[in-house]
Order: sequence, then C-alpha cells, then structure tokens
Amino acid sequence: MSCNSSGCQSICHKNDDQPSDSPPPVAAANNSNNLCLKCKTSSPITPGSLSGDEARFCADCFRSNIYGKFRLAVTSHAMISPSDNVLVAFSGGPYSRVALQFVHGLQDRAQKNFEASKDKSLSVFGVGVAFIDESAVYPVSSDKVDGAIQDIRSVVSNLAPPTKKLHVFPIENIYATDSSDGKDRLTKLLDTVNDATGKEDLLLHLRMLALQKVASQNGYNRLILGSCTSRIACHVLAATVKGQGYSLSADIQYVDARWEIPVVLPLRDCTSQELNLLCHLDGLLLSGGSSRQGSLKTLQPFGSPPSGINGLISSFVNILQEENPSRECTILRTAGKLTPFEFNRIPETDDCNVPLAIRRRQKRYNLKTKESISSELFCPICNGPLKNCNSLKLSSVKSCQSSRFNAACCSSCQFQILPKDPSSMENFCSLLPQQVVDRAKHGNCSLREQIQDCLLSDSEDEN
Amino acid sequence: MQLTLEFGGGLELLCDSVKIHDVNVIPNNEVDKLTMKDLLVWVRTNLIKERPEMFMKDDSVRPGVLVLVNDCDWELSGQLDTPLEEKDVVVFISTLHGG
Amino acid sequence: MEGNHKKARVRLCYLCNQRRAALKRPKTLEQICRECFYELFEEEIHQVIVKNELFKPGERIAIGASGGKDSTVLAYVLSELNRRHNYGLDLFLLSVDEGITGYRDDSLETVKRNELQYGLPLKIVSYKDLYGWTMDEIVKTIGLKNNCTFCGVFRRQALDRGAALLKVDKVVTGHNADDIAETVLLNILRGDIARLSRCTSITTGEDGPIPRCKPFKYTYEKEIVIYPSVENLNKMVTYAYFKRLDYFSTECTTLSPLFHGYSLVLFCYFIFPSCLLRDYFVAGIYSPNAYRGFAREFIKDLERMRPRAILDIIKSGEDFRISTSTKMPEQGICERCGYISSQKWCKACVLLEGLNKGLPKLGIGRSRGLDNNHRKDVKQSNGTKNIEGKQCGSLDF
Repeated sequence: MSCNSSGCQSICHKNDDQPSDSPPPVAAANNSNNLCLKCKTSSPITPGSLSGDEARFCADCFRSNIYGKFRLAVTSHAMISPSDNVLVAFSGGPYSRVALQFVHGLQDRAQKNFEASKDKSLSVFGVGVAFIDESAVYPVSSDKVDGAIQDIRSVVSNLAPPTKKLHVFPIENIYATDSSDGKDRLTKLLDTVNDATGKEDLLLHLRMLALQKVASQNGYNRLILGSCTSRIACHVLAATVKGQGYSLSADIQYVDARWEIPVVLPLRDCTSQELNLLCHLDGLLLSGGSSRQGSLKTLQPFGSPPSGINGLISSFVNILQEENPSRECTILRTAGKLTPFEFNRIPETDDCNVPLAIRRRQKRYNLKTKESISSELFCPICNGPLKNCNSLKLSSVKSCQSSRFNAACCSSCQFQILPKDPSSMENFCSLLPQQVVDRAKHGNCSLREQIQDCLLSDSEDEN
Repeated sequence: MQLTLEFGGGLELLCDSVKIHDVNVIPNNEVDKLTMKDLLVWVRTNLIKERPEMFMKDDSVRPGVLVLVNDCDWELSGQLDTPLEEKDVVVFISTLHGG
Repeated sequence: MEGNHKKARVRLCYLCNQRRAALKRPKTLEQICRECFYELFEEEIHQVIVKNELFKPGERIAIGASGGKDSTVLAYVLSELNRRHNYGLDLFLLSVDEGITGYRDDSLETVKRNELQYGLPLKIVSYKDLYGWTMDEIVKTIGLKNNCTFCGVFRRQALDRGAALLKVDKVVTGHNADDIAETVLLNILRGDIARLSRCTSITTGEDGPIPRCKPFKYTYEKEIVIYPSVENLNKMVTYAYFKRLDYFSTECTTLSPLFHGYSLVLFCYFIFPSCLLRDYFVAGIYSPNAYRGFAREFIKDLERMRPRAILDIIKSGEDFRISTSTKMPEQGICERCGYISSQKWCKACVLLEGLNKGLPKLGIGRSRGLDNNHRKDVKQSNGTKNIEGKQCGSLDF
C-alpha cells in the first residue's frame, strides 16, 4: 500500500508502527515519533482537548495554514486594496481577535514593502478598530466595562506600527447624537420585542447599524468581521429555520456590499476550533483566559450565550460537529452553492464618494434580468433582500406609517420582532433609529418606481 | 388516585408492550393533589421498563410525544401543571413512529 | 365524558365557541374542538389539493400505503374528499411487500383492513414477484451489512412498477410537514444541493413516468397523529382507540438486531427517505449514528419552542436561490429492464445481477467495503459486461 496523498501518509506511517490494528488517524497525534504533517521537522501540537487535522501540524505550520486561508480570501475577493481604509470590528472574542491580528500582519507586510520600494508608488492601506459597547442593554458594572475597554486599548496599541485608531462606540449612539436619551430609547425598543430570539436578532441588526455608523463617520470604506465557518454554519440553519431561505445566500458570502460600507468576511473558511486553538497557542486572548471566562465575559450580548432558537441551533450544531468534525464545513458548502446576489462582490467603481444608492441604481439600469430587480428591495430591520412576491403586497398599503413599515419588513422580522398590536407597533416605530425608518421609506419609494417600470414595460409589450 | 394510562405510537414498547394501564397513584405530598408533573415521575419510576429517554426529556415528555388528558391536548390544560383527578384518562402517543 | 364538567377551566373552541377545545393547533396556536378540527383538517387538505392542482378528474391515483399513520390517514381523508368534492378519482392502495417476516406481514394486515374499511382496491407488489428475492432471503445471502441498499433501491422501483401495473397517473405519499422540514435540514447537512432544490416540491417526477405528490406537505405530524385519536374519542371507553383508522406502529423485532453499529444503515437512511425502517432511526431506537435522530429531535425541539418553525423551514426550502443549471444526471433507460437510469443498467438490475451470480456486493455504493481479492473476483466474472467501476460510488436516482 503506497499512497502519495498527504491525507494518507500518517495512516500508512501509523500502520507501519503498529501493523496489528488500525486505530483512527487522530491517535497519530499522540505518538511522539510523529512529526508535523507538513514540514516533517517539528513535533505536532498536542493540545489536551483538541483533535483532528489541525492537531497534526506543528504550531508554525498550523499558524501559516490559517493565515494562508485568510490571505487567500482577502486576495481572491479583492477585499483590501492599497488605497483602502479598513475598519475591523473587534468584540474582544477569539474570532475577531484573530481577524485583527491577521489584518495587522497584512498591513505590517505592506508597510515593509512600501519602505523597501524605491518609488513608493503603492500606498499602505489604513486600519482602524471598532468596539461596540453594549453595556446599555444588559446589566454590567461600569468597572468591568472600563476594564475591558482598557484591555482592548492595550491590544490595539500593541499592534503597531502602523498605529491603529480605536473607536469605542456605545451602541445607543445609533440614535442621533443630539438626543441624550439614547440608552433609554434603546432599552424601550428592545422591551417591545416579546420573542427572545427576535430580541437577540434585533440587537444583532442594531450592532451592524452601529458598525456602519462608525465606519461611515470616520472615513472607512471596508468593514471586516471575524465571522468564521462555525458561526456562519449556525446562521445558515438559523436563517432556514426562521424562513429566510431567500435572503440567506446574501449573508454568507465573502463580500456583502449591500451596506453603505461593504462588509467582508476573511475568516469565512476558518473553523472556531482552529481560531480558538490559534488564540490559545499565541496567547491572543485578553486577561490571560478565554473570552468567556475572563473579564470579557461581560461583553457577551446580554452576558449570556444565545438563547431561544439561536441557542437551540448552536447546541444542535455542536452535537453534529462532535459526530462529524467537518459537518460545519459541509453546511457552509451547501449554502455556498446557493446563488449569491449581485451585491455580493466588491463594487467595481473606485470612487467611494459616490453614494451606494446611486451605485445601486446604476446597477439596476445595467442589469436586465428580473432577478436583479427583485434584489433591490430590502427589509428595513434585517436588511435582507425581499423576494418579489413577498413585497408586492406593499403596493396596496396606503395607511399609516407604522403599518407601511410593517409591510416593508420581511415575514421573519414581522413574526419575531415586530409587535402584533397596532399601538405597540406605533410605539416600536417611534423608538427605531432614524436610519431604519429611512430604509423603509427608501424601500417604498423604489418599489413604486419599480411597479411603474413594470407597468410601463407591460404596456409596451402589448403595443 | 385511580387513573387510566394509555400508551400508543410505539411508547407501549417501553412498558412491556402493554397499552393500557389501570393504576393507582398515591400523591406523595401533603395537599393530596396530583399534577401531570408528578404523574410523569411516577410513570418513569413504575411503568417504563426500558429506554426512559424515549419517553422523557428533562422533567417533561420528550418533544414529539402527544399527551391527552381526558381527550384534551395537555397544551390546553397547562402541560406539566395540569391537575389530575380521580378516574382521569391520560394518553401518551409518540409521533415518532411509522409513516 | 364526565371530566368536562368537573374541571374548573374549560376552554371553548375558537371557531364554534360552544364545544370544549380538545387541541391546540401547532400551525396557528388556536384552540379547537374536535368536531371543528376534523372539518378544518380535511378542508385544509382539500385547499392544498385544489390550489396546487394535484389531481384532474378521471385520474387513477395510487396511495402509497405502508400501514403507518400517515398513509392510513391519507387514504381515509383522500377517499372522503374524493366523495365529498367529486374529484372523480379512481383511488387505489399500493403496498410493497419487502418480505420481512414479522414486520411487513403485520403492517400489511393493517393495509388489508384499510382496503375493506375504505372500499379501496389494494395492490401489493412483492420483492419476491418483482425480483425473485425476499428481503429475508437477501439478508441471509449478503449478511447484515448492506441490506438497506437493496431494500431502498428495490423499494423505489417497486412503487413505480406497482403503479405501472395499476396503470395509475400518479402516486400520492403520506409525507407530512415535519418529514419535509427534516429532509430540508438533512440535505443542508449533507451538502446535497440538487435534492435540496427538489425536496420541497409538492409534486415530483413530473418528467418521469409516474409523478408523485404529497398532499400532507403542510400538515403537521401532530395533527395527523391526533386526527384518528380525536375522531375516535367517543369510543375511548372501549379502548378501541384506533379502531376505525387503525394503523401499525409496532417496531420490527425480527430485524432489530441487524441494525446495531452499521454506518451503512445510516447511509441508507439518507439516500432512501422512504426506507421502511426509516422510522426506527427517526425514533432513535436503532440509530447507530445518531445524526438522523438528532435532526428529528431538533425538529421536535424547535416545534416546541416555535411551532411555526416547521412551516418556515419549508418556506426557506421553497425560496432558496438555487440556479436551475444545477441538474441531476441525465436520465436514460436501463438496457435490461427499461426503468429510468442514468447508467447502462439501473441500480436494481446491477444489484440483482450480483445477487443472482452469488456476488451480492456488486454495485453496492462504496468500494471500501470490498477487499482487494473480492474486487478482482468481481472484475473477472463481470469484465465483459463492463459494469464494474462505473457503478462504484454512484447511486442513480
């Protein structure tokens, strides 16, 4: 039996050592005679609780493997170009910590290349870091928050040169800065949502709103999230369970340019297991512990793991993952085969001063297919693209603003976020940040345009 | 308290393949009242002979098991808090069986 | 029903507001009495049939009848609706007898009772008649490991062939909303985009010889189970619970020892959603590899938390943006039996060839089950027919 594929080598090797049995290849990692699968010089990582392929690499090869996935994602999807100014969303957790580390690595290398080059033609992209302070929405002592922010500040300042600006943004600042009652409004807004899952999801949407606001106000043109395979796999199932099958493919791509500031996911191909291991190896976690145990515990949303539907899904995925360690990747691969949207790529226009709305309109004129027209409408709450039939009922609604808003939302948000009775609905609308309300108005307008377009083209056909 | 318990949809296999059990359950609290919660504990201890996890999950029935108390879906009578009385009929049917 | 009056809190039906509610509908969370539920249940199925134009007057329809709850309720409801709304359908019961002692013969008894109760002609097609082998004989020959492959492949064809013998236009099956939601999830979990795109269609195989449809696509399993119960509540004193709509819910005791610890059983479970032993994996009883059981349990947990989730999963399945260029392999015709096949021979013929030549492992999915020597044997005896190799690792459906 000879076989050249790297996946097989350790098994063959193993069999040479112990010809009697055929134990699972994972056991190979514990054998001190074994060497790293890749470089074959150093001994592999043998962390207590971890098993699988990553444990068969040495630390250096493991690190460069993960970094390689990150870099491949960045380059093959043109996520960062030299003139860019990117904002990394940093929660203090392991995934965004790795994202920050890797972005710094890229920037550091670009800086060195720049200094070495003679003509200094290529500029070095800028990096900023955003931390969304959510202490307004769950009980936590201000000492803890200050401590966590202090930790984050030191992490960011250590990742220099080049220096990175840290933006600490209280989530209540999604409301206009002149309104002093942001905290109050936000709490009241979340209180109007009865469904536990809906509340969690609404907070998630508001967090994105906050990140967009930080990026937009500070001149960034890319937003980098640390979403990894495991997170995205959970999202795939969650979206399916919540009836968001149509919009799902928009959320799971490397690039998502439906936002004012395009969002990119360079860690899409890394699993949580890999990222946790990397943090562990390189001591990247704050306060010397995992984010869940250290001082960052309080920075989890509501100070607790996801509950409701989201919690059920993440424990389901954990069970599946135990049964088959590649299950998360399979889930993501399935969802990856769904057709992405037109906005799931970096917009071609170099001029970032052009507002997204105009670029979108250009796109609409450029594309003739019906599908791309339908993807013009978005749910004002979750910003998920709406399926045509779902949104057509809009046209008949001519009543008050809150019911118009209701009709503009996707059915999933209608069910789990929007209040059912009209008076609470009005209250809910009055508590929403202005941007969300504007999204709904924009949606209504563009729908009317579209309907007129359709009517026109229909009559042309008849003539 | 005299009760009639019936197991269907494959659940009878967990208690010696007997579908109908006429039982006498003695409430072990002072107020002399019995709820479905108490009954489930009693059934698990006294009737279920194998694979109790097919019948219960945590302190309720396993999701997918229907419970009828006097012909009425227990979701209407308060599930675990449903009070039981003399001569009540409680039916457990698994929905996880053949199609 | 003396219990009615002694209970302090009596909830009334939201529809008639007169009778005591007996059920909380998972679809709407409304409380409903059994009479209204009964009416609504049938009316909703009728609406699904009308809206999706499942049948045309004069069509001959076979109801795939396993003797289980779904197909039993389907046979009853469909014959009722056919009468009530003058669908003008010729209905038949179609059962497959795999030849598994102690399992199928009992459930077939149920189907035979259904034949008398509903006055529907019953056709039983047996593996023995179609293929010359019963499942018991196959198990004896090939051992415990791969019998699910045979059962599944043979079964799928058997339904089609039985339908052809009955000269029906369509086959209806009892798949319910829970089943379909589960299938959507499983197709995501195993990365099968082609099946993901089809599994929520109410009618499938319209391009094939005999289309299949699922009138219970939007019907919750809970309601299907409770339907016969509610209908027979008056007879409770006689404990004739499922007397009128009796269905078979006993596990297979003969085969049960076969299903411990074989991952191919799981494989079978995925590939053949209609496998007769499916339900035992669903119940988690025989699941050697808990994955399918996890999915069913997950669905039930979800339903408890948010009953609407089942319909939402189906909606997602319908809405997924799957490009139409994702095609299934082109269908041809088996040179030997004329059944649709993407290969030269259909899977059943390949399996049969192996059985009849005493090489039962021929054509079974994964080549890793074969040791080198055995593979050589296969090559030698079948080299001229050129079917080995091509078949390995590919299952055509």
